[in-house]
Amino acid sequence: MDTTDLTTAPAGSRTIATTTKTVLREAGIGIALIALIIVFSFTPHFLSSSNVTNILTQVTINLVLSIGMTFVILIGGIDLSVGSVLSFCAVVAGTVMTLPGLDPVMAVFLATISAILAGIGFGLLNGLISAYWAIPSFIVTLGTLNIARGAALQVTNASTIYSFPAAFNAFGSKTFYGIPLLFLIALVLVAIGWFVLAKTVFGRVLYGIGNNEEAARLAGHNVFFYKVAAFTICGVLVGIGAIIYMARLNIASPIIGIGFELNAIAAVIIGGTSLSGGRGSIVGTLLGACIIGVLANGLILLGLSDFMRQMITGFVIILAVILDKYRERLTKA
Amino acid sequence: MAGATAPALADAAVKPVLALSGVKKRFGGVVALDGVSFSLRPGEVHALVGENGAGKSTLIKILCGIIQRDAGTITLDSEAYDPHTPGDAKKAGIQVVHQEFNLLPYLSVAENICFEDMPRKAFGMVDFPTLYARARKALDAIGLGDVDVRRPVESLGVAHRQLVEIARALMGESRILILDEPTATLTARETERLFEIIAALKAKGVAVVFVSHHLNEVFSICDRVTVLRNGQSVMTADIASTTPDQLVTNMVGRQLAAAMAAARDLDKTGRIALSLRGLRHPASPHAEGVSLDLRYGEILGIAGLVGSGRTELLRSIFAADLPLSGTLERDGKPRRYQNPKQAIRDGIGFVTEDRKEEGLILDMAISANVTLASLRKVSRLGLLNKRAETLLTQQLGGEIKLKYGGASDAVSTLSGGNQQKVVLAKWLANDPKILLLDEPTRGVDVGAKAEIYALLRGLAEKGLALLIVSSELPELITLSDRILVMSKHRIAGEVARADFSEERILNFAYKDERNHGHH
Repeated sequence: MDTTDLTTAPAGSRTIATTTKTVLREAGIGIALIALIIVFSFTPHFLSSSNVTNILTQVTINLVLSIGMTFVILIGGIDLSVGSVLSFCAVVAGTVMTLPGLDPVMAVFLATISAILAGIGFGLLNGLISAYWAIPSFIVTLGTLNIARGAALQVTNASTIYSFPAAFNAFGSKTFYGIPLLFLIALVLVAIGWFVLAKTVFGRVLYGIGNNEEAARLAGHNVFFYKVAAFTICGVLVGIGAIIYMARLNIASPIIGIGFELNAIAAVIIGGTSLSGGRGSIVGTLLGACIIGVLANGLILLGLSDFMRQMITGFVIILAVILDKYRERLTKA
Repeated sequence: MAGATAPALADAAVKPVLALSGVKKRFGGVVALDGVSFSLRPGEVHALVGENGAGKSTLIKILCGIIQRDAGTITLDSEAYDPHTPGDAKKAGIQVVHQEFNLLPYLSVAENICFEDMPRKAFGMVDFPTLYARARKALDAIGLGDVDVRRPVESLGVAHRQLVEIARALMGESRILILDEPTATLTARETERLFEIIAALKAKGVAVVFVSHHLNEVFSICDRVTVLRNGQSVMTADIASTTPDQLVTNMVGRQLAAAMAAARDLDKTGRIALSLRGLRHPASPHAEGVSLDLRYGEILGIAGLVGSGRTELLRSIFAADLPLSGTLERDGKPRRYQNPKQAIRDGIGFVTEDRKEEGLILDMAISANVTLASLRKVSRLGLLNKRAETLLTQQLGGEIKLKYGGASDAVSTLSGGNQQKVVLAKWLANDPKILLLDEPTRGVDVGAKAEIYALLRGLAEKGLALLIVSSELPELITLSDRILVMSKHRIAGEVARADFSEERILNFAYKDERNHGHH
């Protein structure tokens, strides 16, 4: 047995490397966020309470969508339809909410349920089609992106729905010590998402499928179910996102949500989740969404044009992925 | 040139074409090479042997320019050789057939073979007639006359892919050919063919570095051998003046002989655990399928050429692929599994041939891999109990002598042998009654092999029924109570333990092939 100590010696140092690797991944993103905040705090108003409220409000919807997107990307999929589906959910919910003769509480309740159901419907569609026929979800969701947008336009005849109950509007603008209620709801969703991915068998199998689908299947896991489930979870969060959007802006329109999917994907990627699946976390996604929000807000305060802002955000997405590569190399050695 | 390995240099009358001295390489804190000296003469076949992790792969990567050494000297024809890219190595006349496939799966066999130097017509268009002709010639030269060069590589089995890889390396004019485990996926006949090719190259003055776990191959075709152990070259000798035992002792410092010789108590086999009647895999050309009975406590070996339907048999039992027809009885009760999940619930485990593709989730923790098929045991109401998971991993890790740092380390940090043990642990965690094993020691070093043999024997003694597919006949002969030989998706013959011999088994394996050749 004289080789035993030879093989265990390097293995010991690997343990430390593996642990630092996971910590480094999220800590690195956290440090980037803190650095951004420090840089922008030199501009006037950035840290004022009204601006913080403003940032958190802006982050909220993208954060909610990004949670769902994390589930989909973790199994190696992608969902391009979330922006359009959000719009569809919103017009469905808006229609329900403005039905005549409903009392306000009932109207909001039924609207929320219908938004979530509409989201589930599209999530199921995305998941079932891509899992059953083994079609890349990029293509399937490109299709449903158009279906949902068209449906939203058809249902409303391209018109905007507004005049929701006053209580609903108040709910959307409520804050606690400067923190928007809607952001707190998003944080609860983050916590649930983190719990599911980090602590449950369901989450473990999702990671497993993202890493190696065949190994997971041969270990007795129903890959079809998990794929459909991931897309459905994404749909639920899109439904919730639609309600949050309506509560904040008091409209439901078939032309909202354009490009939301790209922001959500950006947050997930900046948060360190691998596009090929199997690696990443909700905490990373939270940090990624915050980085995008802080960046957008800070650049406005710096007086940059919208065009410049968009360019810089683009560079940051690429930079994040490049940094991730280096972090990987650093920790792998 | 004063190397540490005196025996090699004592008779260095012939000027070496390639000489390494004191080559070192470290990755972070891990020392991969710690002073390797090695010389290669023109026209010799030089074996490079050592346990997994001894540094063979690192050495090869340095020679072909994939990574750079930290220290030491390398000379090629007495001139400093310092390749920075694989292209440098190719220009210098060094060709490598890597252990991992480097083929382009969606391109045709011909395009793969000629990829480095595509024949062109005007305007850079590919000259397909020449391309196919060249590829045809290359394949015929290595005895792959029956493979259509227009087929996409993804449609080939592993053995054929390996041969295509070899054909590709032989396309370039090489002075030095490095073969990393070239026979791992080949059957005896294909291996023989490869050896003829090596002999022909040798006659042309090409120096061949032959990396292999199979010492019988080393002794049958190599002129000299260098043993690596723990990143150092510990021995270089003429093949004629050494013995397999001496090599093994140098590789591991312990003997595999004990494990190979240990006798099994054969009378312990019990009732029939699994009974197949006419089970037919979708890829089988014959309607009759496979019939066999597997008893508790029995180790039943399945021999046969690559492509004879051995893997497919296991896959159709496990419902990884659904059988077309036939019946399966488990403990005498008919079963029709619709997916692996049902087979697992019925007490069956399946150690697949390709642990990286099908067996393991490489980037995930050892513990996560161990519990992958038995998550229910370490969870309640869908919540994972990480402590229970770690405990189960430690317990099983101890039983199977797994060498690892911590249960949360990624499986990719383990050596091949230990990775294979993790695959075994994954199924053992589920308390299976039947284990299907496909090439259970593929790419595993001799030391770990002995341990896996002992482990499998122990499982059979505990009453498990084992069905083992292997391309290594010595392995089947060592382990099995009985061997079924497959040919073209049918059972071609059965050999009882008393009659075990490689010749007898091969006779059955080639039975159909020979008949085929006659018409």
